[in-house]
Order: sequence, then structure tokens, then C-alpha cells
Amino acid sequence: MILAYLGSGALLAALIMAGFAALLSFWAGWVENLVMIQVGRRAFYAAAALVVCASAVLEAGLVTHDFSLAYVANHTDLATPMPLVAAAFYGGQEGSLLYWTLVLGLLGSASLVASASLGPRLAAYAAAVLASIATFFLVVLVLVASPFDLLFVTPPDGLGLNPVLRDGGMLIHPPVVLAGFASFAIPFSFAAAALLANRADAGWIAHTRRYALVAWSLQSAGLLLGMWWAYHVLGWGGYWGWDPVENVALMPWLATTAYLHSSQVQERRGRLRAWNFGLVILAFLLVVFGTFIVRSGVVPSVHTFAISAIGPWFFAFLGVCLVFALVLLGLRAGGLKSAGRPAAAVSREGAFVLQNMLLIGAVAVVLWGTVLPLVSGLFGQERVVGESYYDRAAGPLFVLILGLMAAGPLLPWRRAGRTSLRALRWPLVAAAVMAAFMMVAGVRSLPALLAIPLALAAAVTCVVEFGRAIAKGRLAPIISRRRRYGAYLAHIGLVVVVVGVAASHFWQQEKDVTLTPGQQVSIGGYQLTYAGMEQRQLADHSELVAAMRFGDRTLEPARATYAGLGGQSLTHVAISTTATADVYVIFAGANSDGSASFRILVNPMVSWIWAGGIVIILGVVLGNVGQRRAAPVPVLTAAPQAAPS
Amino acid sequence: MSAVLKWGAVMVVVAGCVGYLIYSASGGASEYYLTVSELRSHPVYDQDVRVAGVVQGDVLHPSTPAGFGPLTQFSEKDSTATIQVVYRGPLPDIFQPGLTVVAEGRLGADGVFRARQVLVKCPSRFSTTQYTS
Repeated sequence: MILAYLGSGALLAALIMAGFAALLSFWAGWVENLVMIQVGRRAFYAAAALVVCASAVLEAGLVTHDFSLAYVANHTDLATPMPLVAAAFYGGQEGSLLYWTLVLGLLGSASLVASASLGPRLAAYAAAVLASIATFFLVVLVLVASPFDLLFVTPPDGLGLNPVLRDGGMLIHPPVVLAGFASFAIPFSFAAAALLANRADAGWIAHTRRYALVAWSLQSAGLLLGMWWAYHVLGWGGYWGWDPVENVALMPWLATTAYLHSSQVQERRGRLRAWNFGLVILAFLLVVFGTFIVRSGVVPSVHTFAISAIGPWFFAFLGVCLVFALVLLGLRAGGLKSAGRPAAAVSREGAFVLQNMLLIGAVAVVLWGTVLPLVSGLFGQERVVGESYYDRAAGPLFVLILGLMAAGPLLPWRRAGRTSLRALRWPLVAAAVMAAFMMVAGVRSLPALLAIPLALAAAVTCVVEFGRAIAKGRLAPIISRRRRYGAYLAHIGLVVVVVGVAASHFWQQEKDVTLTPGQQVSIGGYQLTYAGMEQRQLADHSELVAAMRFGDRTLEPARATYAGLGGQSLTHVAISTTATADVYVIFAGANSDGSASFRILVNPMVSWIWAGGIVIILGVVLGNVGQRRAAPVPVLTAAPQAAPS
Repeated sequence: MSAVLKWGAVMVVVAGCVGYLIYSASGGASEYYLTVSELRSHPVYDQDVRVAGVVQGDVLHPSTPAGFGPLTQFSEKDSTATIQVVYRGPLPDIFQPGLTVVAEGRLGADGVFRARQVLVKCPSRFSTTQYTS
């Protein structure tokens, strides 16, 4: 009871503080009142601190099983293991919005602490935009989706956590992906602030790039963890289903990938300034749009959140953000004319521009696939697209991007001459050899014959770059210019992911079988023997385990039944991983005659996806740890004495 | 100026290609998303569709011939119409009567819907009742 009042009070106070910070910062930035800029920023820190308090209160309510709180009663029970009880903080609609606001407050504060060097006006406007976004979330939390609503009668026990979510993955995937979503607001705020302050210079790019990189890394990790979880726990044999929930996480990632490349053209050549603003703004709008469609249930998805009253609020917020961004870009576009000559087609910046267009094209493909049910529903019969749409529409774009990954890093800035084009021979030769080898091996699928050789070429390009650096000056240049070489490492990681995705996509094998004990099945050159069934009783559920002998190992796919949750059952898949393929066994059911039914899949090279993901994150982290900041312009921090008090 | 024009032309070409890819792929690969009564009143036989409805209490698991996956028969219903669905393969964990499912497959001339895939709307929680304040 007391927790509910504390929590609601903290949220209300945070809302007032955030609203105050937004209004004050806008005004103070407008009149360049240095003291009030400081006050506005500190009001944002205070709002963030109050959100931390509210989060602590909710977490306290969860771990003390305070079932007077509707949120606690609806998402946990006494039997749920404690780490998962704590994880219920972000497991439901209201809590996940609070978690989102928490990340926005903390990362936003960190970005504002480091913003003084950008000049007082830009810093003030950034605080104002961040505080406005926080205000929106706090309005929703206070008025429509409060995690601190009380129940009239306190139940003796809660309803418990969905068994699918009773997994270690619950402790990692949702917080990372939600933090990724929340963090796109920070580059957006600084982009909007730079436009408001009319300061589209390099300082803005450096600061925004840092936080765009944070958002991108979190989103990359979130996507990969989601794929891992789907593959290992949900047990349908795949890791990506082109569901709207997945698509809306992918789109801002694609847009930010484009920005991380095009921002270099601005840093190095002073070009693409309006385009860069557009990309940062697009990524944030895609996040808001995604949140709207996922949480309002306007498109059919297999895993939408509980449909709730927050849909119209997010729709209105999306409208406001869209209008704000378009007006801002429209007003300032004239001042964003780039200095210098446009890029030559065959040059580093030319490759970046083309890559950007292709990535935005991929965003368009995914967006259309996601909203098609909505759009077609407005004009007639509702239609949906499946995997083949994405294969056909996005596949060619991804193949071209792979080609650019192979060529781009070897092209010089400005214009490529004959000598630099000669460097392309290594990736070309590698791709040709690979394609010939695959042809000889009997591969006839054109997409596979394009994707895998081009992926190899992209990897060879990175290896050539590392080789050149080592040939010149050993390891020193790799460390001193680590941002560049970290990016190449990330490229290699992505290539490994691509090979894993391509191999499992093109050469997956599937077999549905019903076996009696002792019977053998063969799939993709692997032999499996069904050994028999066994019933096991565990703490909160019972399991029917079907033992499957595979070489000297025994795979144990099972079906668990949770008696406490109305007999809810859950499939546990069994996976045997090698470097070349996963043998993936789903226990589909036991029959009365003692036989058992299975779906068996051979998924080639899926483990490459996880390994490549780790390399990507490693490359980004190693490449950006301890990066020197742009020389700060001394302003603001020494100002209070001079200002009127 | 000529370089600007050149990049403008490249952008138009890329946008045109993306537009064509989207158009051709969504024409060939999109499926109707129907309710049971929509499929009953306007039957579509020659192409894959997705049909959404509530699983009825008549779920059957006929014994399966060895070497094949499990077979399931059930009927799906919305407010007015009912359809028989046959599906071979593992069912989603939470599949049970009363739940809304989406069956992807083809309607046979005999009026039976042969599903390639059965998707269950995955609620963020499983109990139908939820405490309200």
C-alpha cells in the first residue's frame, strides 16, 4: 500500500520535473540564459533521479510480493524464482514503459553531462527535447499505464509469469532490446537540438555518433539475443520470422547502420549534412512507430503485447514527433547546403552514399511488409506477407550491400584511380574461387551463389586492410586508428553472421517422423535413434522426456507441464551443435501405442550467427573504447559567477 | 551541378528498383488474412491464405502412421461460421480449445482447410482473467 503511494508520488514528481525541465530549457536556450540552462539541465537530472526512485519502489514491491499492487499480482506469484520475479519489472506493459523511461533518464543524463562542450544553446535544446520525450512517457505512466495501481482486495498469491518467459533469456534479452529502443531518443534529441540551434557542425556529429553507436550496439545485441532465445527456447526451429515485433526492432537498426556510415562522409568531407539529420530522426520515428504498432495491436502479430489503452497516446506522440521533425528539417534545410564538391561515383563516399540508399530501401521493404495488413485492410481485404516477400524484395538489396562491403573499404576518398582499383583484385578473386567451388559442389541456387562468395569477398577486404597495416607498421596503427580497424572487425563479424544466416536459410532440412523405441531416422547424413520416454517430476513442473540417441550423445527433447498454470505445457527442444550444423529435435507428442512424434531439423552453421554477433560487438567496443573526444570549447561551466543571481 | 544531377539520378534509379522489388514481391507473396466467415462466404481454393478463428472443443489426434508427423484435426470458428482444419506437425505449446489461432494453408474442394502452419496469438500472459484495480 505504502509502496503504491511512494511510487505514484515519485512518478508524478518526475513528470512535473521533466515538464519543467523541458519548458525552462527551451526558454533558456532561446534567450541564452546560462544560469537557467544549468537549472533546466539539473531539473532533468532530478526527473531522472525520481524515475530511479519509482523503479526502485516497483522492484521492492516485486521482491517483497506486495500483491496489493495490480502489476505485482498480475506478473508474478510466490512460486516464481526470485531472479524472474525481479525481471518482471520489465515483463509487463506498465513496467516496461517505466524501464524505458529509466533508461532514457540515465542515458539522457549521461549525454547531457558531456554536452557542455557543444555550446550552451545546443546543450539547452538537447535537454529540452530529451525532457519533452521523458514528459510524454511520464504522462502515459501517470495517466494510462501506471505500474502502481492498487487492487481493491489483496489476493493471497499472484497470477505468475508465463512459462515461456521462465528462462534465463528473460533476464537478458528484454532489458537489452528495450534499452536499445530507449537510447535512440538521445541521438534524436541532439540532432533536433543542433537544428534548433542552427549548428550543423562537426561537434554535433561527434557527440551524436557516440550515442548512436551506443543505441546501435544495444540494438544489435538485443536483436541477436532475441534470435538466440527464439531459437533455443521457443522451439519452432528458426530464429527469425519477419514478425512485426521483429521488424520494428530491425528498422531503426538499419537506419542507424546507414547513419554510422554516412556520418563519416560529413566528418571527413563535410557533406551529407541534411541527410545525416534525416537518418537520425528517421531512426527515432521508426522506434516510436514500432512501439505504437506493437503495443496497440493494429497489425496481426504472433507476439503482440497485451492490447491496451496506450495505442492512441503513442499514435499522437508519433504525429507530434513527425510534424516537429519535418518542420524543423524544412526550416533548416536551406542552411545545410554542404561545402565542397559532391562525391565521385567510384570513391569511398560514393560507396557510402549508395550503401545508404540500399539500407533505406531495405527499411522501406520491411516497413511495407509490416504495414501491409493495415494498408490493405483500409482498401479492401486484409493481406499479409510472409518470408518469401522479404526474400524476394530485401534479398537483392542485402546482396548489393554485401558487394559494397567488399569494395567500399578499399576505395579511397574523393576519387578512385587505377592503382586503388587494383586492390579490388583480392576480394574479386576470392569471390570467383568460392563461386566456382560451390558450382562444382553442386550448388545451383543463384541467391546462395551470390551471397556466400560476396560475404567471403567482404571478409577478404577486411583481412587485406589489416594486412596492409601490419605490413606498414606492425600493430601500432591498428591501435592508434582503432575506430577504423574496430569497424573492420565488426564487418568480419557481420560476414560470419551472414554466412550463418545464408547457410541455415538455403540448406535447412526438416523431417516430421513418428518413431517406436529403437527405430532409427536419418536426416542430412545424421542418424538418430529413438530410445524411449520417461516421466520426470521437477520443482514447479513435470516433464515427459523422449530420449534420442545421436552418436555417443543422448538428446533429450521434452514436453513440460506446469500444473500450477492450468496444465500449461511447454516444449523443450534439444539441440546438438557442431561448427557445421545444429541437429534440432522437437518432441511433438507421445502416442497411445508407445510411439513418439518428432520434428527434426538440420540447421547448417547456425552457431556462426552467435559467434559473428560476439565479434561485431567486440569490434565496436574495441574500436571505440578510449576514443579521444573532440577538443572541448570552454563555455558554461565557469559561467555562474558572471551571471546575475 | 552535374554531379548533383548524377547522384539524383542514382537515387531515382535505386528508389525505382526498390519500388519494383516491393511491388513484384508483395504481389506474388502476399496472402489473404481472413476470418472464418470471410473464407466461408468467399472461398479461395487455389492459393494460400491465413485464416483466424477460435479453436473449438473437437480437437482430435488420430493415430499416425509410422514415419509421419502427428496429425491434428480441429475446427475453427468465429461468430458465425465454422471450418474444419487438418494439420500435420508439432502444435504450438499453448494450443487449446478457446484460443484464437491463425492457420496458414489452403482450402480444399472438400471444404477442409489443410494447414501448413498453425500460429497462436501469444499473449504476454496466459491466464484469461487478470486482476483489475
